[in-house]
Amino acid sequence: MSINIPDVQGKRDAMKELVTEDMLKEVIEVYISETDSISLLDIPSTFVSVDAHDAEAIIERNNQYAEVCRNRMGNDKYVDRSMQTLNGEAKNKQVQSDSIVMVDTAATVTAWDMYDTYISPEQDETVCVPQAERADYPEVAVDTSRGAEKNMSVGSSTSSVASSLKEQEALGNGLNAESELQLIMLSEKFQHLLLVTERSILGNVFQPKLAAYRELPILEGKLISINVMIVSDSDIPMKPGTVEQREDTESPRPPAVECLWAFSCELSRGRSVSSMAWNKKYPDLLAVGYGELDSSNQKPGLVCCWSHKNPTWPERVIYCDSAVTSLDFSFNNPSQLAVGMQDGSLVIYNVQSRNQLCVVSSSECTNKHLAPVWQIRWTQQDLSLTGEEKLEALYTVAADGKICKWFICNNGLDCIELMKLKKIHNTKKKAGGNKTEKKTESVLSALSPGLCFDFHPRDSSIYLVGTWEGLIHKCSSSNSQQFLETYRKHFCPVNCIIWCPLIPDVFLSCSSDWTIQLWKQDHLNPVLGFSSTQKAVCDIKWSPKCATVFGAVNEGQLEIWDLNSSILDPVIVQPAAPGVKMTSLLFATQTDCVLVGDSDGQVTVYQLKNLTNICESGAKVINVTLANRHNTTFFLS
Amino acid sequence: MLIEETLKRIQSQKGVQGIIIVNSEGIPIKTTLDNSSTVQYAGLIHQLVMKARSTVRDIDPQNDLTFLRVRSKKNEIMIAPDKDYFLIVIQNPSD
Repeated sequence: MSINIPDVQGKRDAMKELVTEDMLKEVIEVYISETDSISLLDIPSTFVSVDAHDAEAIIERNNQYAEVCRNRMGNDKYVDRSMQTLNGEAKNKQVQSDSIVMVDTAATVTAWDMYDTYISPEQDETVCVPQAERADYPEVAVDTSRGAEKNMSVGSSTSSVASSLKEQEALGNGLNAESELQLIMLSEKFQHLLLVTERSILGNVFQPKLAAYRELPILEGKLISINVMIVSDSDIPMKPGTVEQREDTESPRPPAVECLWAFSCELSRGRSVSSMAWNKKYPDLLAVGYGELDSSNQKPGLVCCWSHKNPTWPERVIYCDSAVTSLDFSFNNPSQLAVGMQDGSLVIYNVQSRNQLCVVSSSECTNKHLAPVWQIRWTQQDLSLTGEEKLEALYTVAADGKICKWFICNNGLDCIELMKLKKIHNTKKKAGGNKTEKKTESVLSALSPGLCFDFHPRDSSIYLVGTWEGLIHKCSSSNSQQFLETYRKHFCPVNCIIWCPLIPDVFLSCSSDWTIQLWKQDHLNPVLGFSSTQKAVCDIKWSPKCATVFGAVNEGQLEIWDLNSSILDPVIVQPAAPGVKMTSLLFATQTDCVLVGDSDGQVTVYQLKNLTNICESGAKVINVTLANRHNTTFFLS
Repeated sequence: MLIEETLKRIQSQKGVQGIIIVNSEGIPIKTTLDNSSTVQYAGLIHQLVMKARSTVRDIDPQNDLTFLRVRSKKNEIMIAPDKDYFLIVIQNPSD
């Protein structure tokens, strides 16, 4: 009987040999012997000392076990039984499968990638739309992506093969590129990007001029970005190139103006600048009104808002129905711009939005002006009782002789008449005190056109008006019947009146009779008169920083007067370009610059150099001159 | 159209050598330079913009790149990136 011991089976297979006939006939002797005993289980007894703790329990168990063994024989509890298991045949089975293709994928996770994924459910809608458009060209899209990968994998790709491939693809994707381009061009974000890019480019182009405007040191010969402010010392460490020192070194140089740049574009070329105003909140935003002042050339007017960030194209362009004669920004709502026009209408625009919003117009108002609005002014009225918010009112003076105060009601503008400029009989003349006027009995209008006005800087109920006849009236907003004072000196239309912001009670007036007069509020005769050329003086402004400096513009030149140095001649004279007349003037509030508008539509920025900065003695100069005038009767006019 | 006018104005500014608009895959879709320069600029700057944007956003994921200027000896490259495209302007201010 063969004993089937599984672990020995291998040996038997290896010893198979070929069986021949001779071998079969052989007598083989088989010896059977007893193998050694194979011990399958051997558990030796455990010895426990009699003195141990559980000795008694173990003895008890031993006794129990001995009893079980004794009772085993012939007991029904235990029955002998034998079993045999059948071992089935082993069967080999093999399975083969396709090799699993392994692909390596890697992803770089960045912090912002995770952030985008969390945010993306909100942005899915916006993403879907351009995707739909691009589904029209699936094959082309795949090609381009593969092309891009190829280019990337080449690395610093100047190999001609890759680049020529790309060229072909770039050329071949004409259709796809067109539609993409259209999409991009229509988006507002692109417009914003273009704006920023244009400003950066212009920043580079105009950098020295803008640096001079901001009174930063100018480094010549090197490109420096505007944002880098280098404070210059006399010993510059490493930078080559010269530094233009701002202060005079040894000898005082004569005062002069230097032309920095000009705001002009093709829209404004050919139009005459009629008025300019700074924004009250952002002192770098300039509004310029264009309009022909002679009635022969009636072009519709234009208002442009310029910023120094882009001197070649205005930030906002507003087309108006008729020529613009004056404009002013509001104090309380800095984005509101009030524009007065030649046909007498007054419109308030909101310059904040790109698609310009006309806030309100005076076209429906019943008692609006019928003649050109020569000046517009927003004035803040101090209310000592109520808190911080100052009330603001809009005033206009027009050629129909009325001064009106406007307010917004029912989506329109409405006005109340503040004063009528009645004509005064020429022969009557009293010194000081209130006058009683007599209306002339002519058939024509008894009102004389008002050309300019200005409110007292400290007391906003007092204002001065200049008229066509050359008279200057001081009026109060509480008294609409009578003038408080009349100042007579000019015999031609008074073009501009302006209070001095630094010296109290002093104002300047300029007129077409070629003179500029300096007045003190309580003197009916001018303190000083200035004239330098025989041309009508169009505009005049005080310097905001220096009490004795003012600028004047007549048709041919820009004059800067400094009362400290000379009262006979202007300190600086800048002639206009040939063929061009200068029409308006504005001082920059924070730097030493003046802006001059001319009849060709250009607003040129000039920087004042080397003006002495002694500003405290302004009042003294005026007072001294006044005292001198009383002593001597020497008129300068 | 306003955008066309602005593009024309930029192109006529002093020293501007070229303008390229590149889509999000790095393919130039509008250019004023010759083809080989365009392709070169587009490919190289695409990588630079990706890197710059990734840098900015890694530091603060709520931040994003708005403008990139590369000043070199001879000229300046200004890049205005957006989600789907970016705009490249090359200027030589001393022209």
